[in-house]
Amino acid sequence: MSTTNLHQVDKFRHEALLYANLDQFVAGTVPFIRDGVRAGEPVLVVESVAKIEMLREALGPDAGAVMFADMAGVGANPARIIPAWQEFVTRHEGATRLRGIGEPIWKERTPDELIECQRHESLLNVAFGRGRPWWLLCPYDTEKLDAAVIDEARRSHEFVTEGSHAEPSDLFRGLEASGAPFDAPLPQRGTALGRTTFGPNDLASVRSLVAHHADAAGLGAMRAAELVVAINEVATNSIKHGGGRGTLTVWQETSALICEISDRGRFAKALADRERPSESVAAPRGLWLANQLCDLVQIRTIPDGTVVRLHMRRSATQGLN
Amino acid sequence: MPTTHLENQLRAAPRQADSREGKVYADSHLVITRTQEPVGLCFAGEIDSSNARAVADFLSNRFAGAEDIHLDMSGLSFCDVSGIRSLIEAAESRLQGRLMLHGLPHLLQRVMAATGWANLPHLVVVS
Repeated sequence: MSTTNLHQVDKFRHEALLYANLDQFVAGTVPFIRDGVRAGEPVLVVESVAKIEMLREALGPDAGAVMFADMAGVGANPARIIPAWQEFVTRHEGATRLRGIGEPIWKERTPDELIECQRHESLLNVAFGRGRPWWLLCPYDTEKLDAAVIDEARRSHEFVTEGSHAEPSDLFRGLEASGAPFDAPLPQRGTALGRTTFGPNDLASVRSLVAHHADAAGLGAMRAAELVVAINEVATNSIKHGGGRGTLTVWQETSALICEISDRGRFAKALADRERPSESVAAPRGLWLANQLCDLVQIRTIPDGTVVRLHMRRSATQGLN
Repeated sequence: MPTTHLENQLRAAPRQADSREGKVYADSHLVITRTQEPVGLCFAGEIDSSNARAVADFLSNRFAGAEDIHLDMSGLSFCDVSGIRSLIEAAESRLQGRLMLHGLPHLLQRVMAATGWANLPHLVVVS
C-alpha cells in the first residue's frame, strides 16, 4: 500500500478501512502498522484477541514495536475507548505522529451497543479533530455488518479505504455535526418495572429502589452497588442542573437491567461523559463515573430535556476496570 | 507499620460508647462520632448531595491542629462524588496534617481511583 506517501498526516486523520475477508483485513492493516513502526511512530492496535494474534504473526519481528489492547475489554462500554486513545496520545507527547487501529463494531454488538459505537466514531472527530496529527484506522467488516452500518461509517470518517484505494468520504458529516446534540430516538422497551418522579429530597429513595431492582435482577452485590452509585450521580445531576427533579424508569430485560432518568436539563458538552475529569476538585465527574461503572450509558437530547439510560448486563461480567 | 497499628486500635474502639458520648454531627442520613485513640472521627450512614455541604463545613471547622486526623469510614454505607469532594475540601483546607481514611469500603476506593482521586497528598486511604 502506498497510502502513507500519498497522504501527509498533518492533522487527525480518521479513516475507515472496509474489508470483506481476513486477507483484505491483513492487507489493509499490516502495511499501515509496518510503515508506522519503521517511521518510528508509536502504534497502538485495539482489536479482538483473535485479530491481534493474526497481526502478530503477519508482522513478525515488527510486532515487538507495536502496542496491542483487547477491544472486548477496552471497548466493552464504547464510551471508554476515547479516554484510552487520549491516554495513548498523551503518553507519547514527544512523538510528532502516531498511528492507531481500532475496530469497535462487530456483528455480535447488541443494537444499543451498536448505536453507541457509532456515536463514539463521530465523537472521535470532536475529541481529536483540532489536536495533534495522528492517524486512526477503523476496520469495518463489510461481509458481516449491515449496509446501513457501512453507510454510517462513511458519515463518521473523513476518509474511507476500500481495497488499496483511499479517498475522502463524500458522506462525511464534518467536525461540527459530529459533536451536535445526539437526538437519535432511544428504542421503545417493554413494560417498565416501575416509573417514579423524584425531587431534591428523594435521592435515598432512588437509591433503594434501584438497589431493590438490581437485587431482584440478580446483578450481584458489587455490580448492584456500582449501579446505585451511577444512578445516584445521574439523579443528582437532575436535581442540580435538570430543573430540580426527574423521572426514573426501570426495565428488566432478559440480558440487562436498564435504568433511565429523564429531566429538563440540557446536556451541553458532547464529550462530557467520556473525557477524563480534570484534576480540579470541582470538575464534574458523575457521567464519567457512570461510564466507568456501567456496561452502557445512553445519553440523548430530547426537545424538552435530557434522557440518560444506564445498562447493566445480568450475566456476570467485569465492571469498573 | 504505624498505620496498621492505628487501624487496629480504631477497629478495637468501642463504637457503642462513642455513639453515646461522642456524637459531634448528626443529620437524617449520617452520624459522626469522636474517637480518642487515635484522635479522629467515626462515620456511620450516608453522604450524598443533600448533606455533603454540611459535612464539608463541619469537617473544615473541626481541626485546627497540625496532626494527622484519622477517620473510620467502615460504617459509611454510601458516599457519592460530592461526599468525596467534601472530604477532599476538608483535607485541603488544613494547613498541615492529613486526613487518614480507615476501613474505606472497597467500592468507594474504586470510585476514588476512577475519578482521579486515588493519590491525593492530604487525603490518604489506609489499606
